[in-house]
Amino acid sequence: MPYKIAVVGELETVMGFGLAGASHLHVHREKTETLRKLKEFLSDPEVGLILLTATVREELAEELEPLHRLEGIIPMVLTIPDHRGYYPAVDELERLVKRTAGVEVILK
Amino acid sequence: MTKAVSGISPTRMELIRLRQRIALAQKGHDLLEEKRDALMMEFLGLVRRIRELSKETFGRLSEAHRKLSYCMAWMGSAETLQATLESRKELKLEISTRFIMGVKVPMVEGVRTERNPVQRGYSLHTSSALLDETSAEFERALAQLCELAELSEAVRRIGLELERTRRRVNALEYILIPQLKSMAAFIAFRLDEMERDNFVRLKRIKAMLERREGGA
Repeated sequence: MPYKIAVVGELETVMGFGLAGASHLHVHREKTETLRKLKEFLSDPEVGLILLTATVREELAEELEPLHRLEGIIPMVLTIPDHRGYYPAVDELERLVKRTAGVEVILK
Repeated sequence: MTKAVSGISPTRMELIRLRQRIALAQKGHDLLEEKRDALMMEFLGLVRRIRELSKETFGRLSEAHRKLSYCMAWMGSAETLQATLESRKELKLEISTRFIMGVKVPMVEGVRTERNPVQRGYSLHTSSALLDETSAEFERALAQLCELAELSEAVRRIGLELERTRRRVNALEYILIPQLKSMAAFIAFRLDEMERDNFVRLKRIKAMLERREGGA
């Protein structure tokens, strides 16, 4: 079954992926509005992948956490750097590695 | 070492049953341990791939953003936004699921994000060639992001399964098996004790009988 791509972020990010053909777009301006939109995307059976910029994700971190846990395999949610290239040094992956492996793992 | 354990009767039947349970728990423990190690290998392999891929993808994304800002400077941001709105938004992903070590993970199939300028749908004679380049760059970035999303989701799920498996291994190793073993040891101790009792009792009776016979 074909799925569509949703993008939530700053204007630049949304514009870029809009050009690339992503269909569900939302420009982040205000917290509650973005949150409502995100819930909509998460429950939309058409959406298969949600791209979220790191800035927005951090702003919504607390509210997003319970949403993310509930969600099944689809849609997938991926955090991407914003247009200024901001991306947290310790991202989810690092936290997950630390929690499951018990140590920080450095792979060359 | 062998402290009294309440609720079990020190019989031979109970001891046999306990030994069976220990063997079973041990077997389960070994199997789970193997699963845990295999999951760990899978997990670390995925982590490595994600780290490599995300580095590359994020580099590509920042390049795409750079092109976009050039484009906005060249064409004007209003015109670029206009082109964005005009762009055809029909990109579709095929997502299916597969199993890694019994863990359900998503699989994105054959992402074809790249298009030629005509397919994109914005007006060609009002837009700059920079816009085409920008779009192409974002399309390429998007293809890699899809793959990255697939791997991230897989790693998240395998991580959760790994945690769960490890908790079960530890519960068996440090709680259930020691408990069963101490119960078994307690029963064995009591049975030995009873046998010694009996032995002494028989000896005494034999001595008493001999004495009586000798006296008579």
